[in-house]
Amino acid sequence: MPSDPSRLDPTALRALLAKVATGDANAFRMLYDNTSPKLFGFALRILQRRELAEDVLQESFAAVWHSARDYRAHLSAPMTWMATIVRNKAFDALRAADHAVEIDANDFDQAVLRALADPGATPIESLQMSRDAKALAACMSELDSAHRQVVGMAFFHDLSHSELARQLALPIGTVKTWIRRSLERLRTCLGKQESA
Amino acid sequence: MNYRDNAALRDKLAAEYVLGTLRGGARRRFEGWLHDDAALRNITRDWADRLTPMGEFAPAVTPPRRVWRAIEHRLHLRTASAWENFWRGSAPAFWRPLGLVAMVATLVLAVTLVQWRNNQPSVDYVATLSDDKAQAALLVTADRRHGALDVRLAAGTTPAADRVLQLWAVPKAGAPRSLGVLPRSGTVRLRLPAGALGDDVALLAVSVEPLGGSPDPTGPSGPIVYKGGWVQAM
Repeated sequence: MPSDPSRLDPTALRALLAKVATGDANAFRMLYDNTSPKLFGFALRILQRRELAEDVLQESFAAVWHSARDYRAHLSAPMTWMATIVRNKAFDALRAADHAVEIDANDFDQAVLRALADPGATPIESLQMSRDAKALAACMSELDSAHRQVVGMAFFHDLSHSELARQLALPIGTVKTWIRRSLERLRTCLGKQESA
Repeated sequence: MNYRDNAALRDKLAAEYVLGTLRGGARRRFEGWLHDDAALRNITRDWADRLTPMGEFAPAVTPPRRVWRAIEHRLHLRTASAWENFWRGSAPAFWRPLGLVAMVATLVLAVTLVQWRNNQPSVDYVATLSDDKAQAALLVTADRRHGALDVRLAAGTTPAADRVLQLWAVPKAGAPRSLGVLPRSGTVRLRLPAGALGDDVALLAVSVEPLGGSPDPTGPSGPIVYKGGWVQAM
């Protein structure tokens, strides 16, 4: 086992994925043990129903097992690759189940704030978040709170501009502008962190 | 649309594609461009790298054990944990499909083998180790007089380049005992250690291990690929 304290250390996860690509079931189990709590939490956040989230987690790991060979280590981080699989499958499940999710914008804001909490004070959360996620949380904290909510709702709830406008009782032009500006600011902020 | 020359537009569309707010015809059109525009694919991937970690803001929740069991079952996985549980519940399930026919076949093979190898009359135990489809993969013979264990590997048993096969005696109680690491093919003569034979040995097993054998001194670290029991030859 890698000695890195983070369970989501990209180097360790890349090594596990490389073994999974050769059909190594034990490496797959290790990958599951390290990443499934975070990915299950993500699926639950999107779907808000445990049985749907369990199905999506199962579907997602089956996809990881079958397509680990296609994972390109030099491209995306392992967690990004797996979280993308989970997100796509969760949205598919949501559409198939025709299941209305209760959307709470404040909830997302609390999640960002929690994500930003002092790692020393919450060591367990800190271990369960990758460096990429910590960097993104720091940049999102610099956004205006209302803008941050719009971006979060779009990401977690698969909402279009007009759906967001309806949810938040805002003009659609305002939603579009907030999203565009937020994305620009995130790119600049993350770029600075990268070069720092 | 001159989207190819408009860097700002490309970036905006890629970001909204990843975020999910790009919808309908615009989304399908964008996917069409992605298909034959590698630079656009890179821009889109950069946005996925930036935004997808948002998924980690949701608090971690350990999934119930049944999720892993369902995955394991669905993908036909054999992992170390399955091994650890072997004697706690699954042993009868292993023997059931083998049935009487296979047991008789093993005995016949054992006797034939002993007669055939009459230049080595001291062979007193034989085991054929099979995979989960009851396909024989290894033949193990024990020679107590010379303190030797001969292992013959069938074709098709070669592990991946960075793996070796390791042979174990599995007692009815306690940790498996390593009998040695096997060659990639052909035959090998191993020392017959104490604890390889006897009434308390329930089974022989072969696991897939990293080069040099299992790093775990208490048993296999990799999946069990072949199993079989000793049969007394005479």
